[in-house]
Amino acid sequence: MLRFTAPLTLLLLAAAQALLAQTTTISGRITDATNGELLIGVTIEALGMQQGKVSNEYGFYSFSLPARNDSVTLRFSYLGYETVLRRIKTAPGAISLDVALRPKVAVLEEVVVTANSLEDKMKSTEMSVMTLSTREAKAVPALFGEVDIIKILQLKPGIASGTEGTTGLFVRGGGVDQNLIVLDEAIVYNPNHLFGFFSTFNSDAVKDVKIYKGGFPAQYGGRLSSVIDVRMREGNNKEYDVTGGIGLISSRLTVEGPIQRDKSSFIVSGRRTYADLITRGINQANADNPDYNPIPDYFFYDLNTKVNFTLSERDRLFLSGYFGRDVFKFNNQTFDFLFDWGNATGTARWNHVYGPKLFSNATFTFSDYRYRIRNALQGFSFSLGSNVIDANAKLDFYYQPDNRHAIRFGGNATYHEFRVARLKFGSDDGRINFESGQNFDGMEYALYFADDWSVSDRLKVNYGGRLSAWKNGPAFYANFEPRVAANYAVGKGWSVKGSYARMNQYVHLLASSGLSLPTDIWYPSTEGVRPQVSDQVAAGVQYLYRGKWLITWEGWYKWLQNQVDFIDGAELFGNNNLEGELAIGKGYAFSPLELEIEKRDGRLTGWIGYTLAWVRRGEFADINGGAYFPPRFDTRHNLSVVALYELSRRWQLTATWVYTSGYMAWLPLGRYTFQDVSGAPFQTVVPIYGDRNTFRYPAYMRLDLGVVYRWKTRRSEQDLTLSIYNATDRRNPFFIFLEPEFQTVGQDSQTIKIPTAIRAKQVSLFPILPSLTWNFKF
Amino acid sequence: MKYLLHILVLSAALFWGACNLEKEIDLELPQYDSQPVVECYLEPGKPFRLLLTRSYSFFDPFGLDSSFLDKTLLGGALVTIAYNNRVDTLPNTLSLEFPPLKIFNYTGKNIVPATPGIEYTLRIVTPDGKEITGKTVMLPKVPIDSIRVEWNPQRDSLARILTYITDDRTQENYYRRMLNYSTLDSVPDQDFLANDRIAQTEVIAFGSGYELREGDTVFNTLFHITKDYYDYLESVQLAVIGNLNPFAQPARIKSNVGGSANPLGIFTCLVYDRDTTIIRK
Repeated sequence: MLRFTAPLTLLLLAAAQALLAQTTTISGRITDATNGELLIGVTIEALGMQQGKVSNEYGFYSFSLPARNDSVTLRFSYLGYETVLRRIKTAPGAISLDVALRPKVAVLEEVVVTANSLEDKMKSTEMSVMTLSTREAKAVPALFGEVDIIKILQLKPGIASGTEGTTGLFVRGGGVDQNLIVLDEAIVYNPNHLFGFFSTFNSDAVKDVKIYKGGFPAQYGGRLSSVIDVRMREGNNKEYDVTGGIGLISSRLTVEGPIQRDKSSFIVSGRRTYADLITRGINQANADNPDYNPIPDYFFYDLNTKVNFTLSERDRLFLSGYFGRDVFKFNNQTFDFLFDWGNATGTARWNHVYGPKLFSNATFTFSDYRYRIRNALQGFSFSLGSNVIDANAKLDFYYQPDNRHAIRFGGNATYHEFRVARLKFGSDDGRINFESGQNFDGMEYALYFADDWSVSDRLKVNYGGRLSAWKNGPAFYANFEPRVAANYAVGKGWSVKGSYARMNQYVHLLASSGLSLPTDIWYPSTEGVRPQVSDQVAAGVQYLYRGKWLITWEGWYKWLQNQVDFIDGAELFGNNNLEGELAIGKGYAFSPLELEIEKRDGRLTGWIGYTLAWVRRGEFADINGGAYFPPRFDTRHNLSVVALYELSRRWQLTATWVYTSGYMAWLPLGRYTFQDVSGAPFQTVVPIYGDRNTFRYPAYMRLDLGVVYRWKTRRSEQDLTLSIYNATDRRNPFFIFLEPEFQTVGQDSQTIKIPTAIRAKQVSLFPILPSLTWNFKF
Repeated sequence: MKYLLHILVLSAALFWGACNLEKEIDLELPQYDSQPVVECYLEPGKPFRLLLTRSYSFFDPFGLDSSFLDKTLLGGALVTIAYNNRVDTLPNTLSLEFPPLKIFNYTGKNIVPATPGIEYTLRIVTPDGKEITGKTVMLPKVPIDSIRVEWNPQRDSLARILTYITDDRTQENYYRRMLNYSTLDSVPDQDFLANDRIAQTEVIAFGSGYELREGDTVFNTLFHITKDYYDYLESVQLAVIGNLNPFAQPARIKSNVGGSANPLGIFTCLVYDRDTTIIRK
């Protein structure tokens, strides 16, 4: 890697030097003036020159102008911040200019870290991409008052949710394992707490969330359907802050501040539930009762930490980590049961500015996801667990030879270690022993190149590709993934976009239900299980109405190959031949209409999203006879309306309305009576299932309301957030089952139960749920 | 404090209960055509017998009268079982077994031999001329080596029962383990399937919780079953659970009978060892 990049770097520097002689190149970093946080996506324009750039994900920008020895005014603008103007002299050479932007007074209470302005979004070659601000995330009414970034992404067009209340993301017809979720560039394998009802992302620690649904930039790879790039905050490098909140389910606390003012900072952010404190109290109160069955303990926690150092004008170092766990345990005199699962990630990143046109980012990341079930019972013990560990090294370069080209290139290598379904059961004396499980090691490589090229004032093209490879034992796969996107400015306020991307996925999630379970298994590509492949084409139109309303229409088609599913009755545990339980097939998904109308400025902000889509899977030899069928998440219509209204500086009103076509379900068609053998009961109703997913649940509809009241004291800023989830108390279907009714016949001890009828029953999960959260900042 | 916590938990339970999150709905299922269902267990020492019934659409009505039983039992079929170069015909004769009550509508005169290794072939011609076929083999009995009763060291009024067998490591084996307390009529306290795919030792133990008291009677049955039967029972469990559990994946019934009649069901030999233990200190 070094042999390749070092000469290339020198070549680029030499080219840059030649160009500098005729241009003025201005570069630097853009930060928040109140806390030193790097600002992503700030617009830099040269007034009167029709040229503009945006700062990258590390707050770095580079801007070139003709060197005419005159003066030009640069405007730095960012939504929610006061615009800054800087006058510079366009002499040949390089100018280093770091800029700090101050948040607008009206929203000084909340750090507004939003994405590109709507106009920049329209002009960008990026399509099928969305960003989410923490301010939006905290204002949107939330289940149990728990702000959840992942669940808010479910309100965006093109993204379907799985089971109600869970964090599953089904992006443009893709499965839950086809989302690349990274936190400060480290992969988070299972971003869920409590079986998917809460995500692992603490909104107090998050700066920015960007999701790509298509048109994937070349620096991303490894998953088919989306990239969810979550960036942590760096911490306030000017003064100490303590923020937090107390809610119905959990409490949060974040401490941040400078290590050395303006040069280095830290942030530590934690969150924990406390239902177990109550249940432990109940258990303790009943400890003297020999017939009392203790309530099991359950809790989860997250801890995010980050430090960053400005080593010099050209170098910054970031170290960040995340550790989170769910713990479920149950103990009594004879039973010792523990079930825990969680992620640990670590990132070390070094930004280096070689010159005004060349910037690099060297990153080392570590990810560990594991679950463990352990049970001990007087002389016998049982344990079951799986884990996946990644160690990744990557190097990314940003090179801007001139204002028409923004080049990115780089590569990465990832070592994967899989310990799959390790089961051990036996007696303590060793007489009885059951063991199973498989271990795999794999290497994943990638090299990429991309150029964001302004062909003309109207036409921009982003072209490039990614060469990825995978090795696991004798299995070796290498694939080229073309990536291209284009934006044509048709007229004032209009642009037309198109993109194509091929993605390869070398790691698969074996999940047997629509719910994200911690025991779902991550499995590598092998000789028998080939990499999954997707090809996605998208086309779209964007219109910016009156500079405030951005209307985006996209249509897309996605082809999927080597999709992994299970055969009927697959045995996932106690099985050393998991591949024998898998079925491999294909799929496709398309939408002629994915529409978003968003408004980011003014008192009323928010968005409306609508998607009309079809999803199919098929050609699995052992499923449905190879015929295509709709997966559970094939919801035809998805409509979300999110509105945030600033009534005054103190009061904010919020509302969310969601309508989704029902999920597809596999309900039985028939039944039979199973007598069974002596000693086993008569089963009068054994369901007979036909083809998969032929039944559509009733539609899902939900209205959430919220009110935020804010106030300040001399030393603090506080707010009370009232959320009413499912304000109309609609009983949406979570699960439908067919239940026999029985009549008891006979006398005295000779009675039997005879079924008399079958009733279809619908179970809902959440009625109307109000919650109150107190948030503070000192 | 103690009472306050109880009140809080009770209030929460009442709140959730009052929320009434379950309701009956109307729904229409796709068309379903009835299938014949076979249950045939060849038990050494018992007559050849078989239960042949019909399946129903899920919402078809039930009946408490004999006409419903008549409609469910599929009569008028020609049932034969071939083994050891002979073919037995099972006439359409109703036979019952007690306790517990088991019904068979095709019963032969001959007794199933106890010899392991014999292969059996089933053939049924239904009244409408369609065919059902199946094959199975008699497995050797796997005896229960020993039973151990252990008393809870912390609470010596309760005991557990441990059952030891020796597994043949030269082949793949499948088991069904059943524990009935008091009588064989009772719903089993344990009824699960096991296999030895990941066993590392010859000795296999099955246990229970510390839930038995002195004087309790335990019927301890270990079936040595074929893979066909294992797959069938597992698919029945998954089908039942899949209908009732939102987190479970349903499954189609894995029958080991086939043919132009499109049947469901199981044709297998029933080989088991059963021990009856009365719990004593």
